[in-house]
Amino acid sequence: MKQLLNIAYYEVVHIFKDRILFLVVFVVPLIYASLLGLIYASSILQQVPLGIVNLDHSAESRAIISAFENSNDFRVIPSVDTYAGLEQGMKNGTVRAGVVIPEDYSQRLAQHQLTQILTVYDGSNLIYGYNTRRFFQLVLNTFSAEHTAAYLGGLGMSKQEIKSVMDSVSVTTQVWYNPNYSYSTFIFPGLIIIILHQIGLLGIGLTITREKERNTWLQYLCAALPQWKIFMGKALPYFIVNFFNYGLLLWLAARFINVKLEGSLALILLLGLLFNMIITSLGFVISLYAPNSLQVSRYLMLMSIPLFFISGYTWPGTHMPALLYGLGKLMPFTWMAEGLRWVTLKDLGANYLAITIIIMSCMAAVTLFLAVTFTKRRNPAAEGGLVVNSGSTYPKKNLLD
Amino acid sequence: MFKQCLAIMKRELFYMWRDKGLRYILLIGPLLGLFLFVGIYSHPRIDHIATAVVDLDQSVASRQVIAELRNTQDLEIACYPDNFEQLEELVKRGQVMVGVVIPENYAKNIALQRQTRVAVVIDGANITYATNAASAVLTVTRTLGAQVGVKTLIARGVQPNQAREAYQSIEFREEAWFNPTLNYAYFLVLALVLNIWQQCCMLASCMNIVGENGVRSWLQIKASGLSAFKLFFSKSIVHIGVFMLLILPVYYLAFVIFKLPLNCGIITFLLFTLIFAISLHSLGTLISSFSSNAVDASRFGMVVALPSFVISGFTWPIAAMPQWFQPVAWVLPQTWFFQGINYFVLKNPGWEMMSRYFLVLGMMAVLCYGLAALFTHCFQARFR
Repeated sequence: MKQLLNIAYYEVVHIFKDRILFLVVFVVPLIYASLLGLIYASSILQQVPLGIVNLDHSAESRAIISAFENSNDFRVIPSVDTYAGLEQGMKNGTVRAGVVIPEDYSQRLAQHQLTQILTVYDGSNLIYGYNTRRFFQLVLNTFSAEHTAAYLGGLGMSKQEIKSVMDSVSVTTQVWYNPNYSYSTFIFPGLIIIILHQIGLLGIGLTITREKERNTWLQYLCAALPQWKIFMGKALPYFIVNFFNYGLLLWLAARFINVKLEGSLALILLLGLLFNMIITSLGFVISLYAPNSLQVSRYLMLMSIPLFFISGYTWPGTHMPALLYGLGKLMPFTWMAEGLRWVTLKDLGANYLAITIIIMSCMAAVTLFLAVTFTKRRNPAAEGGLVVNSGSTYPKKNLLD
Repeated sequence: MFKQCLAIMKRELFYMWRDKGLRYILLIGPLLGLFLFVGIYSHPRIDHIATAVVDLDQSVASRQVIAELRNTQDLEIACYPDNFEQLEELVKRGQVMVGVVIPENYAKNIALQRQTRVAVVIDGANITYATNAASAVLTVTRTLGAQVGVKTLIARGVQPNQAREAYQSIEFREEAWFNPTLNYAYFLVLALVLNIWQQCCMLASCMNIVGENGVRSWLQIKASGLSAFKLFFSKSIVHIGVFMLLILPVYYLAFVIFKLPLNCGIITFLLFTLIFAISLHSLGTLISSFSSNAVDASRFGMVVALPSFVISGFTWPIAAMPQWFQPVAWVLPQTWFFQGINYFVLKNPGWEMMSRYFLVLGMMAVLCYGLAALFTHCFQARFR
C-alpha cells in the first residue's frame, strides 16, 4: 500500500510541477464547461428575426402581422417589408424567416376564394430552420383557429356554438423530458462527458510517455513492483481528479446553466465511476504503447469531434448506416452519454439502464485487464519515432539552457 | 535570396514529411473526417420518426386519424400498443419518439358533436427528433381539426362550401430557402470536415517557431546569419501551401463526388479558404512563439481550436449567445471562417458583404504574425 501511495505521490508532484498539465487536469474542464455554458445560456431559441412582406395592406392582412407580433418566438423586423428586401435580408442574415401576404389576400377572402400565404425560413442553419418551422406551425394554427372562429361568427353562430364546433376534436401535445426544447438540457450533458473523456485521457495519457522521455520508466520496469501497483499508483490521482471534475461539472450544469438534472444520485455516481475507470485505464494503456507525449496530445485531441458525432448523441443512430452505428457502440462515450441522459433527463431507474451498466462494466473490466497486464520487458527504442525537424525528441526551448 | 528561400522551403517540406505523426494527421485526418461525416449524414433528414398509436376506439374515424399520421413523411407508425402504459414504456426505452392516443368513443363523440381529445406525447430528450416530430404533429393537428370541423358544420346544417371555407380558405405554403430539403448533410458535413482540417492545420502551425528555436540546430541557424524573417516566411509559405493542397481533394470529393452544394465560384471559395489558412497559421505561429515546448504548443493550439466550432455560432447561433459574449466570439478567425462558409456555400450574398470577411481575416493574420515576431525577438534576446 505504501509503494502504491508513493507512486501516487510522485505523480501528484509531477502534475503540480508541470504547470500546463496542472491547468489541463484542474482548470481546463471547468473553463470549457463554463465557456460552453455561456454559449448555451439562453437555452431556448426565441425571437427569430422575421420579415413580413404585406402586399395587401388590409385589415385582414394586418391580423396576420399581429399574430406574429404577438408571438414571443418571432421578432418582426420592420425595415424588411419588400420581397427584394426579404431576399436580401435572408441572404445577409438580417432576417431568418419571412411571411409574404399576397396583394389580393383580402379580396380573395371576400370573394370566398382560396388564398395562399407564403412562409419562408432559412434552411442554411438547421437549428434555426427546424425551430422556425415549428414556430410557424404554432402561430399559424392559432391564426387559423381565430380565422375560423371569426368566419363562423359571420355565419351567425353564437360563441357557445363556435366553441362547441371548434373543440369537437382537440389535440393535446405533451413534450416529455424537455418540454421547453432547451438546447442546453439537450446538449450540455453530452458536452460535459466529452470534455471529461478527452481531458481524462489527455491527463493520464502522458504519464508513461513522460517517464519514457525522461528515461525513468526503466526504474518502474526494474523495480520489484507488480504491474497492478504501478497502474494503481499512477492512475489514482487522475481517477480522483476526474471523479471530482465529473461532480463539479454536473453541479455547475445544474446550478448555473439550468440544465435539467434529475434521477437517482446513486446511478449518476455509478455511471461516473464506471466511466472514470474506463477512461483512466484506457489512458494508461494508450500511454504505455504511445511513442511520446506529442503524439498522444495530437491524436487524442483530434478524436473528440468524430467521437461526439458517431455516438448518435445529436444525430440519431437509427438514421446512420449500421456500420457507423455499430462503431459508435464500441466507444465508451456513446454508452455514458446515453446512460447519463436516461438517468438525468428521463429519470429512469436501474432496470432501464441494465444493458448500459453491463456493457460499461465489461468495458471497464477489459481496459483494467489491459492496464494491469502489460509486459515489464523493456522494448528497444522504436526506430523512426518522433522526428520533428529531425530531432529525436520533441522541441523544447529549455534545451538551450 | 530566392535560392535561400527555396532551400528553406525544401527543408521544411522534408521535415514535415519526416514527422510521421503530423504526416498521417494531415494526410488522413480531413479525408477520414469527410468519409465519416458523409456516412453519418448519409440519410440527411430526420423523417420516418418511430410513432406508436394507441387506438382505443378502433373505429373508422380513428383509422382516419391513423391515415393522416401515415400521410406525413416525418412520422412512421412503428407499432400499436394496447394501452397507455405500454406506450409510456416504449417512449421511456427510446423505441418510439411519438405516441398518439385516440380515446374510446372517439367516433361516437364526434358523431354526437361532443368534445373529444386526442393525446400526443413527444420524447423531447433529443430535440433534433423532437422539433421535427412537433412540426409534423402540428401539421396533422391542423388538417385533422379542419376535417372534423367541416364534418361537424355540415352535420349542423351549414352549407358544405361554407363549411370548407371556414377551415380551408387560407392555405399556408412553406419554403425553406437555401436548403429546401432541410438536408442536414448540406448544413453540417462540410463544416465538420473543415473543423477537422483546421485542427490538423493548427497542430502543424504550432510547430512553426518552437520547432526551430526549441532544437539545438537553432544555434547553427543563428550563426549562419540567416534572417529570422526569411526563415519563418519561407517555412510559412510551405505550411500554407500544404494546407491548401490538403483541402483540394476534400473539396473535390465534397463538391464533385458527394455533390454538396456550393453557391459561389470555386475560385472565390478557395481564396476564402486561403485567407483563413493564412490567418489560422498566424494564430498557430503566435502560439508557437510563446510556448516552451512542442507539447505545450499543441495543447494551447487545441485549447483554442477545439471549442472554436461551437463558439463560431455555426450551429447554435451567435445571436442566441449572451450579448456581452458575442464580440468575444468574433475574435477567433474560426468564427469568421465558419460563418463565411455558411454564407458562401448556401447563400452567396455577394462581394460587398463578404469582402469584410476577407479583410478581417487578413488583419488578424497581420496582427498575429506581428505579435509572433515580437515574442520570438524577446525570446532570442533572453538567450543572447
